[in-house]
Amino acid sequence: MTNTGMFFRMLFSAVFRRRSRAVMAVVASLVGAATLFCLAMICIAVPQQMNEEMRAYGANLIVTPTESGADGKTGIDSAMVKHTTEMVAAKGSEKHATYRYENVRVNAAPYVMAGIDTAEVRNLNHHWVVDGKWPSAGKVLIGRDVADAMGLEVGGRITIGYRASDNTSTSASDSSANTDASGSTSAPSDSAAGSDQGTSGSASAPSDEGAGSANAETEGETSNNTGSQSSANSSTTGSQSGQQTQDGRVSSDIMDTSGTEFRVSGIVDTGGSEDSIIYATNDDVTKLTGTTRGVDVIEYSAGTEDLNALVKSINSMTSMHVKAQPVTKITSSDTRIITMLQTLFWIVSLVVLVLTLVGVGTTISSIVSQRRNEIGLRKALGASSAAIGIEFYVESAMYGLIGGLLGTTIGFGLAQWLCVAVFDRSIGFNWWLAAGSVILAALVAVIASIPPVHRATRIDPAVVLREE
Amino acid sequence: MDMLLELDHISKIYGDLHAVDDLSLTVPQGEWLAIVGSSGSGKTTLMNMIGCMDTPSKGSVKLEGRKLEDLNAGQLADVRKNLIGLVFQKFYLVPHLTAVENVMVAQYYHSVVDEKQALEALEKVGLKDRAHHLPGQLSGGEQQRVCVARALINEPKLILADEPTGNLDEKNEKIVLDLFRQLHEQGTTIIVVTHDALVASCAEREIMLNHGVLVGEKWNDEKAREAYEAAGGKPASTGAKVESAQTGETAIGFADPTKAAKTANLLSE
Repeated sequence: MTNTGMFFRMLFSAVFRRRSRAVMAVVASLVGAATLFCLAMICIAVPQQMNEEMRAYGANLIVTPTESGADGKTGIDSAMVKHTTEMVAAKGSEKHATYRYENVRVNAAPYVMAGIDTAEVRNLNHHWVVDGKWPSAGKVLIGRDVADAMGLEVGGRITIGYRASDNTSTSASDSSANTDASGSTSAPSDSAAGSDQGTSGSASAPSDEGAGSANAETEGETSNNTGSQSSANSSTTGSQSGQQTQDGRVSSDIMDTSGTEFRVSGIVDTGGSEDSIIYATNDDVTKLTGTTRGVDVIEYSAGTEDLNALVKSINSMTSMHVKAQPVTKITSSDTRIITMLQTLFWIVSLVVLVLTLVGVGTTISSIVSQRRNEIGLRKALGASSAAIGIEFYVESAMYGLIGGLLGTTIGFGLAQWLCVAVFDRSIGFNWWLAAGSVILAALVAVIASIPPVHRATRIDPAVVLREE
Repeated sequence: MDMLLELDHISKIYGDLHAVDDLSLTVPQGEWLAIVGSSGSGKTTLMNMIGCMDTPSKGSVKLEGRKLEDLNAGQLADVRKNLIGLVFQKFYLVPHLTAVENVMVAQYYHSVVDEKQALEALEKVGLKDRAHHLPGQLSGGEQQRVCVARALINEPKLILADEPTGNLDEKNEKIVLDLFRQLHEQGTTIIVVTHDALVASCAEREIMLNHGVLVGEKWNDEKAREAYEAAGGKPASTGAKVESAQTGETAIGFADPTKAAKTANLLSE
């Protein structure tokens, strides 16, 4: 047998033949490792869960066209929607919905109508409270404000008129609005109707939860709105100047209530700008307007960890003629809550770590003090302080390793149970974290053993061996 | 004759208490010396100083010509593991190591572990069949024999035994003394601290301490005495100004203090 063999023989004898003491040290490490690993696993699981939860509150990324066609606006065609979606999907999970905004009139009053794919919008916006049903062919979903203004209820009828002139704009102003802000704001704000209703209402109305309100927090928002407003004003002027005259007066269509009749399938109440919009299926909007064009906004709920990188990558593709913007309201809320939770977990972890150090330290201290005679004997036999220190540190590390292995396993089980019970989701085993947990447990055991072992190595063999 | 151990006016003082008071002593290679005295006479303190486990407050200790006061802790540990084998009254075996592993611990700190050699050492003390038992599974006598095997495994020049038979019955006491006798015959220097008259009488030479002061010296082996004196060896002495102290160059005889009856019984066997 070599001296190394003897070293490990002594080590294993100390650990496995002194089981009661070893169990105490292992349990102390186990409790610490289990708690820390459980907390760490939850620290990882919570942000993922929070991301998913927050993403249920709407989009965190909006994509708008950067330029308009010769006829005013062409939107983002389906091929580009598909391409953009592929880019987003390449960075992580995604859900998306498209919106085509048109200015319409109801009883001659201006409103914004959005053409949507019902399934997409419903899937993206879980927080929308819909009284009744989502829109289908011949049926519309109206916002709470619209319903209140017109005294409409579910099952009621609404006649919606479309004027091409309401949706015609100078391409320059429209383009600038589209470029500066989320495209969702541009279409209605160009119209005279938008101006009549108030720019703020029409400008923010189409922007869905997150999009509009989030843009309110993005830098340059003021200029965006200003752009929208100015374009709205200019287009108002343009559209007015382009109107026909009758008997020397500007022709007024204020009493024109003609249009297509729709049934109100439901009323949406979000507390946001959606409440002043009328939602219909894309086909109905196409029929109403008589034109087919691309969408004004694509909203994404992107699962990527680095949303800004995704935004940059989309914006760098200038040939796509689209502009991506993060919805800062959602992302910052998400980040803030996650940061708060993680900070809380770290503080708790630190407390647990200190308690583990104290627990393991006390146990090791007790073990060392019980072995004073043995230490004195070893010194009497010629052992150096360093040799004795190494023996005890390795022994402590062994307690930490065993406790760490068991604790990590238990901690994972605990974390798994908690996640299933609280978040209703399972978590995967993180091998790197597990390795870190075991190593940390061993390290804590060694660090905790430094003071008692240091004292032990200074034992005077003559004093110890003289003691009764 | 080479002197293995030379004590030159050593004292160990704790406050006002002189645990060992100005003792001078030389021990040649191969001698069997018994240090006797009642409890608290300073025997163990003296043994600790000889065994490099304690340092004298005054005076000088030389082992193989090396002054121990010049050595640092590491060098003293080297002296302990290379020159000295220790036998304790309370055995001090590592409780979670088997008998053979306890012997191998001494090898581990000395040089290279050799299980076969450790088993041979246990065989010498009659414990080969108990080699893989834990100390808790051994009797007191067996534990002391393991302790002796551990002390002799590195073939030390000096064996220091502190009350080696203090916890043993007569049968085991005899076994241990026989082992010492064998070691002595092989030329190992043995210093035994005891207050047992039988154990002391087995030694060639005895010195007696009383409250740290040398009060007597006697030889149990005249041939050894002659050889010692022929080699220039002098009687132990003390500079302590205490009545009955052995201060000059003439040894003062004494009667073994205790266990006389037991000695008589054993000697008659």
